[in-house]
Amino acid sequence: MRHILFTGILLALALAALPVRGAAQPLVTGGNLVLQITAALLGQEPAMATNSQCTLEWQKEHVVTKVTVSTTCPGQRFTLRVLATNISRRGGIEGIAAPEVTLQDGMPAMDFITDVPPPGSLNTSATLQYTASATFSQGNSTELGNDLHTVTYTVVAQ
Amino acid sequence: MTMSHLIGAGIALAVAAFAQRASAQVFGSTAHTVTVQVAPITVIGVDLAALTLQISSGTPGQETMTVTDATSKLLWGTNSSNQKITANTDNAAPLFDLRLVAVNPTGGSVTSEFSLSTTPHDLLLNVGQSLGSCTLQYRGVALASQAPGSDTHVITFTVQSQ
Repeated sequence: MRHILFTGILLALALAALPVRGAAQPLVTGGNLVLQITAALLGQEPAMATNSQCTLEWQKEHVVTKVTVSTTCPGQRFTLRVLATNISRRGGIEGIAAPEVTLQDGMPAMDFITDVPPPGSLNTSATLQYTASATFSQGNSTELGNDLHTVTYTVVAQ
Repeated sequence: MTMSHLIGAGIALAVAAFAQRASAQVFGSTAHTVTVQVAPITVIGVDLAALTLQISSGTPGQETMTVTDATSKLLWGTNSSNQKITANTDNAAPLFDLRLVAVNPTGGSVTSEFSLSTTPHDLLLNVGQSLGSCTLQYRGVALASQAPGSDTHVITFTVQSQ
């Protein structure tokens, strides 16, 4: 009898202590990006720069999941936002894009895509639409340096 | 404690652990680098392409006749630091004096009124890293003793390091 309880305790400990292994790591395709702000119209702040060349791919899990986003950018000066677009739809809703996220150095992880349904073993993807902006008062990279963001996407249970 | 109690306790422990894991479960993460690069950008312009100052009458007993115009605006934007705005004319030998001063600037420091010449003269100081505007107040000056005539000026405004 005792070994049944012991087995239960072992199972509980294993679930609590073992590292969680997702079916596959998410992946950003499209490489690293450079967004350049180079022009302005008279009477207006510099024009924004946008880029949608990167895609986030990940594998669905056995539970409802979401994707969060965060960044580290020491000494950040300019504004960078990201929005999930073109979330794949293979026979149903594959997730809901959160409102555009403003990426700030040291920010907590913010919801990026929510309500990604099971089942696991199916790949899904979304386009990463980045928008960079700067005001004249924020200066320029020649004098101040570039903003270098390490943007992290994490798949977690919702 | 019966066997069923033990089994129940074991299962409960396993379920509780699973539920705790599921609520904070991280399945994986990935990162990439995004660089934001902002070039030095400077724009400047005037909202009126042309204007005319006409001196058509004087005041008895006064040699100096003037006319003032403040209908045009200068707009600028620069994300470089330590900048100023200068103004100059292409007319090297005008018959009459044409003076200029910036009025009500949204940023920067105003210099005093000056006569336009082919040598750039400071109009506004300390306009670095700003989006701004000011009114351009022109003053045409002629002497009663001068013959009638006209001058044409092409006035150039420049943002430059100070």
